[in-house]
Order: sequence, then C-alpha cells, then structure tokens
Amino acid sequence: MSFYDYANLTGNDAMQFLRAAGVTLYITIVSLLIGSILGIALGIVRCSKNKAVSALPLILIEPLRNSPLVTQLFLIYYGLPMVSSIMLDPYPAAILAISLNTAAFMAVLVHNSISAVPQGQWEAGLALGHSSASTFIHVIARQAFRLLIPQAITLYISQLQCSSLVALIGIMDLTKLGQNLALRTLKPFMIYGIVFLIYYILSSPLSKLARDLEKKLSFNY
Amino acid sequence: MYIQRTTNDNYESLIHDITGKVGKEMAMIEVKNVTKSFGTLTVLKNFNVEFNQEGVTVLLGPSGTGKSTLLRCINGLETVDEGDILVNGRSVKEKKNLRDIRLDCGMVFQRTVLFPHLNVMQNLTMSPVKLLKMDKAKAEEKAIYYLKKVGLESKAKALHNELSGGEQQRIAIARALMMNPKALLLDEITSALDPEMTSEVLKILENLAAEGVCMLCVTHEMQFAKHAASRIIFMDKGSMEADVTAEEFFSTVRKENERIAKFLNFIGE
Repeated sequence: MSFYDYANLTGNDAMQFLRAAGVTLYITIVSLLIGSILGIALGIVRCSKNKAVSALPLILIEPLRNSPLVTQLFLIYYGLPMVSSIMLDPYPAAILAISLNTAAFMAVLVHNSISAVPQGQWEAGLALGHSSASTFIHVIARQAFRLLIPQAITLYISQLQCSSLVALIGIMDLTKLGQNLALRTLKPFMIYGIVFLIYYILSSPLSKLARDLEKKLSFNY
Repeated sequence: MYIQRTTNDNYESLIHDITGKVGKEMAMIEVKNVTKSFGTLTVLKNFNVEFNQEGVTVLLGPSGTGKSTLLRCINGLETVDEGDILVNGRSVKEKKNLRDIRLDCGMVFQRTVLFPHLNVMQNLTMSPVKLLKMDKAKAEEKAIYYLKKVGLESKAKALHNELSGGEQQRIAIARALMMNPKALLLDEITSALDPEMTSEVLKILENLAAEGVCMLCVTHEMQFAKHAASRIIFMDKGSMEADVTAEEFFSTVRKENERIAKFLNFIGE
C-alpha cells in the first residue's frame, strides 16, 4: 500500500463507516429503549400523591441530570471496578450510562407531561365513575403520551448525538472511527465532515418526525 | 336501599328511570350537618338538605357561598370535614361507594371538560363501554340518541376544538346522560358562555327538565330558574337562607327576605 492509498479513503473505509454507524445506532437504540422504560416508570412514581414516594425517584434523577454524561460514563467504566468487583466491558458500560442518563431526562418529561394535563380532566374522568387508575389509563395517560412524544423524540436526537462520547472508552462508533481515519489520512475536515453528515442523516428524520407529531398530536384544552 | 345498576339497553326508558321511580321512600341525596373548609375559610357550615329524585332544584346565591362546593362534595370530588352525605344510602366518606355515587350523580362542570384526545362519539361511548361493559355498537346507538336530544347528531365525529363552547357543554350533558345517572349535577355550566351559547344550553336543559330529568343546578340564570326549577335553595355564607318553590321564591320570599331581594336586585332580576 502506497502512502497515497494510505492517506485516502478506500472501499473498506466506507464499510467501516457503515459498521460504525451500526454501532452508534445499536448503542443508542438499546440505551433509549431501556432508558425510556425506566424513565416512564420513574416519571409515573414521581406523580404519586404521596410526597415521600414521589420524592424517591429524585435520588436517581437529580444526580444524573446535573452531571455530564461523560462523567457518568467514566464513573461506570473506570470508577466502578475500583470500588466493587463490577468490571463492565465498554459496550455494557456505555449502554448502562446512556440508559440511566436517558431515564433521568425521560422521567422529568413524563412527570411534566402528566402534570400538564389539567386537573379538570381528572375530575371529568372521576365524575363519570372511573376510578383513579381507570381515569389515569383511559384519560390522563393518553393525553400525556401525546404531549410526551415530540419531547421524547427531541431527547432521543440529543442522546443519539451524546452517544459519540462512547468513543472515549474505546468503542468503535462513528466518532471513534472518524478520529482514527482523521489521524490516518490527515484530512480531518473531510473525515469529520463525513461523520457529521452521517449523524445528520440519522438525526434529521427524527427531527422532522418530532415537528410533524407536534403539529399532529397537539391540542388545546 | 341500593339501586342495582345495569347496562340497560332500552335507554329511552332511562329518561323515565331518572324521573323518580327510584328512591321515593327516602331522599336520594341527604346532606347531613356538612361542614367544609378550605384553610381558614369555611364554605359550608353545618349544612343540611335533602334532595329527592324529582324535578329541577336550583341552587342560588352570591359567589363563594358554597354552592359549587356542595355539588362537588355530593359527587365526592371534595371531602367533607364534618357531617356526611348519603346518596341512595351510600356515604360519600366511604371510598368504595364513590364509583356508585358518581354513576348515580352525573356531573357537568362550569369549564367544559371534554376529553380532547377523543372525538365526540368516543367521548360519549368510552365510559359506558369501559365501566358499564356496554357493547360498543349499542353504546354508539345510545350516543346517537343523546346527540339527537342535544341537537348535535351531525357532530359525532368532531373533535372538541371543532365545537363552540355551547356545543361542548351540550356534548358534556349528553356524556353525563350516557352513564344512566339518577340525577344530573350542573355546576354553573353556562357561566363561561356568551349569551347565544347560553340560550342553546338552557334550551336543552329546559327540554330535559320537561321530560322529567332530575337536575341539581348551580346557576345565575334567573330565567331558567323561573321556567324550569321546581325548587330553589338560596345559600349565603355557607348556610341555607331559603328552600322554597320557584313560585314562592320569586313572589313572596323576595319580598320578605332582604338578603334575597338584595341579591336579585344586584343581578338585575
């Protein structure tokens, strides 16, 4: 291989970009799935009328919302083995960190969406004879879900972009591949331009979806 | 006495069911020595009243005298501090009774609260299907019947934001009637509407009253009170000032009771 070949992108590099995009998507989708389920559960608990119960999720939510994701990632990947016998591989560590971070933000969105449904909707459901649980399921949750969706998609876009931090613990995602190729080719503008474009291609349909859903699902009380 | 609730398919008979076949031997709603406070403000003071399942009872009085609170206490949306309210013999203090009490006393609020994620038909059928286990096709048939009653059968597929305020209130009345209530509790349902919409809603209420639907209304619509009410309760500062027929209220009582005369003069009646 001549220096010229080494400094240019090859067909193999294109495959690597695809593979790295797959890694980025895999980590993001698995983390968002776990984070969303956990976040929805925490958000619902936050809505409890019992103040002690509703405060419980804050133990998890507040530290995670008020510290950088990269710190949480390092704490799990580098820090945990120092204080316990838990030594996670990069993938599980990355998925755990992004899942927890997503859960914290999702819990806040869920709590806000449920709180945004006017009290009158609760009363209307109860006055028709529904129990609190039935009112929640058939009236409140369905409205809250419609309020939640566009915000959740915006969170997902943000977390997709934050997933680039997993490059810092050695996972060969899009960003890490970009670093490697930029060092090899000495063409950082072109390489990071490609990485930028792939992130854009992955994110922009979600942004459009969020905008469309916001219009479609919105309603005035 | 407990009333067996059924998913009565012959819903036209419900109009008759609501007119007083049930609970003749005892008051349908018994308010016994009820006191209710919000913080330091006492809105109901040792309040006593009984409502039978007949005709239209109008609750009148200045704002803040506990009329809406009384309706909300009857429906279990507010807890009573002292005393008790029995609806068909069931205490509102017992949580397990609330479902049946709320099914017995349909409520329509001042601010329209249709479910915005559902269209009109779904607003009407959701609760009968989910709670009364009514067949969906039958529920829709029944919904059409009540939509015709409130003159909105053409709006079955409309969303709440495609309806005027008056139309929304009429749908809310139809939705309450869908649950086969023994009485309707109406909490100032025209106060947020303009005069045209108010007359639309009052016309519907007058029609329902003429058919014998039992209603307990908080309103400031004196014309409605004059035409439709069989009984008027005047409340002031959480207590009852008068409990008379509409005829007596607008003739003798207003002459004899200075407070009532002042109130009626104030609202231009």
